[in-house]
Amino acid sequence: MTESAAAPSGPGSTAASPEVRRNPVSTHPIASLLIGLLLLASIFFALYVPLYGRLTPKVGAWPFFYFYLLAFMPVMAVVLWVVTLLQRRFDTEAGGPR
Amino acid sequence: MSHVNSTVFTIVVAVFILVTGIGFAASRWRRTQDMMHLNEWGLAGRGFGTFITWFLLGGDLYTAYTFIAVPALVYGSGSIGFYAVAYTIVAYPIAFIFLPRLWSVSHVHNYVTPADFIRGRYGSRGLALSAAVTGILATMPYIALQLVGIQAVLTVMGVGADTTNTYLKDVPLFVAFVVLAIYTYLSGLRAPAAIAFVKDTIIYVFVIVAVFYIPAKIGGWSHIFGAAQTHFTSTNPATGKPFGTFLPTTKKVGSTQLDFVTLALGSALALFMYPHVITGTLAARRRGAIKRNMSLLPAYSVVLALIALFGYMAVADPATVASVKKTGNAQLSVPYLFQNHFPSWFTGVAFSGIIIGALVPAAIMSIGAANLFTRNIFKEFFKPDATPRLETRVSQWASLVVKLGALYFAVELPKTFSINLQLLGGVWILQTFPMLVGGLYTRWFHRFALIPGWLAGMAYGTLAAYNTSSPTASHWASSSDIVFGFSLYIGISAFILNLAISVVLTLVLRAFKVPEGPDETLPRHFTVEATDTPAKERASVTAGEARPAPGV
Repeated sequence: MTESAAAPSGPGSTAASPEVRRNPVSTHPIASLLIGLLLLASIFFALYVPLYGRLTPKVGAWPFFYFYLLAFMPVMAVVLWVVTLLQRRFDTEAGGPR
Repeated sequence: MSHVNSTVFTIVVAVFILVTGIGFAASRWRRTQDMMHLNEWGLAGRGFGTFITWFLLGGDLYTAYTFIAVPALVYGSGSIGFYAVAYTIVAYPIAFIFLPRLWSVSHVHNYVTPADFIRGRYGSRGLALSAAVTGILATMPYIALQLVGIQAVLTVMGVGADTTNTYLKDVPLFVAFVVLAIYTYLSGLRAPAAIAFVKDTIIYVFVIVAVFYIPAKIGGWSHIFGAAQTHFTSTNPATGKPFGTFLPTTKKVGSTQLDFVTLALGSALALFMYPHVITGTLAARRRGAIKRNMSLLPAYSVVLALIALFGYMAVADPATVASVKKTGNAQLSVPYLFQNHFPSWFTGVAFSGIIIGALVPAAIMSIGAANLFTRNIFKEFFKPDATPRLETRVSQWASLVVKLGALYFAVELPKTFSINLQLLGGVWILQTFPMLVGGLYTRWFHRFALIPGWLAGMAYGTLAAYNTSSPTASHWASSSDIVFGFSLYIGISAFILNLAISVVLTLVLRAFKVPEGPDETLPRHFTVEATDTPAKERASVTAGEARPAPGV
């Protein structure tokens, strides 16, 4: 990584020395794994139709397929919020901005 | 104009005038000394926080396509239309993965367009040109589709119903678009960003009201789902097949589960490739604002899911079915549903919401396409020494030309053609995924391998879409075709072909040690947070920084 010495005069060079901030994945292996799993699982469960492409059990008047899709939205919002919070810990602990 | 309900008409005109005022006033919003810079006109100073970004991206992503075409697809075909719901669920986790990296590298190098990044990353003008051309090609019909959405509302309102002259009929559309073009020219991205507040507020209000009010009026949810199930599983006497599907089927061909999944996944991958969406993203001040927005934007997806259900409400409502049958245009189903059940004043509110819902994205799309033209075609190939001032001027004019082109499309071409072109636009824009998202993570792909891959994906996608047929159309009938006996989204099959060619050719080119081209980015540029350096001081970073590519 010798090329960082010749870095462009962008804002990156004015920030705290970049080499101090290690790759977040290697400093937080468990949190990174958790983030990866959360994202992959949320994508999988939203797309794997055989799991939810059916009429029953009905929720009120709603066939399961339609209820599941609607209910997945708030779930996704919460998952992504949790992931954002997990990632913020990377920044603060590594001494990066904020 | 004897057919026009004066209450509806007055409210729509009043909201339009309000929005126009906001559009012009927006040029003074967050004003800086030098407005004649693409960072100002095209990205509103790159200064939006989480809150404004949420309104801007929400106003940008959910277009007239959402309000008109999605429920029309549900009305016409049933469950397959709900792919749009699954797609807006998975779009956010996918974007969460790569979008912050694109924001950071664009922040460091002052990139305005996705093609700017591709140019800097691969050191290839040709590759950047292919991304720019794809972006413009895919955006034009998308803007035209916004106009088709406005036309649908105007038709149901009865505006221009007394005349058979096409041009006279479209005068209101013409006026709305010229006004939009003028304030976008003056205020740039600030105009749609400010108007997005009005748009999103109206949309939330009318969708939430409609979702409680209309089912109560037409017999409740069990009636709606029951009627939809009965309709879509019964046989259409004209074709001898069912009208549609109430659930994705487990067969091999038709509205299958695989078709549903590939449509959802392909559209989700394509969504954040669109220039207008990237424009909205790059206008954010902080990397964190992008991440937070990915968890806040699903609120709009709830609205989209409810809007999709309006398609079933229309199916379950005999009055709406009769109105649609008379015109033979499924796109009118939602406007008719509202008109048949809401009091006139609320119909006016809903219709004005749909109209502004088309104007906001149309403005951002024209800005995104104009920036692509200016940065990656005009500056790159015709005037490398263009000043920021000239760049801005060219973008302003390009945004006018793009809008007029879209107006021509919408008025002159048959409506089904615009929708097909828009579907094709999704297939096209997805072909920039390997170069853009691939480039955010690795320099492994060779620039001369990505170009043939892109070309093959574009050619295959276009041909495959051309060859789809249905009982009513001999060409351009569907966005899915049959590969190895299975129905799947053309975008995905073209994308796989694209990726395969890029991988194989990269291996070959690397074996022959063909020069990789310079890379001006560094690994740490992809994780940079916002800095206090004002955008203007960064303006020169992109020039003259080209250095030999580091090994991967």
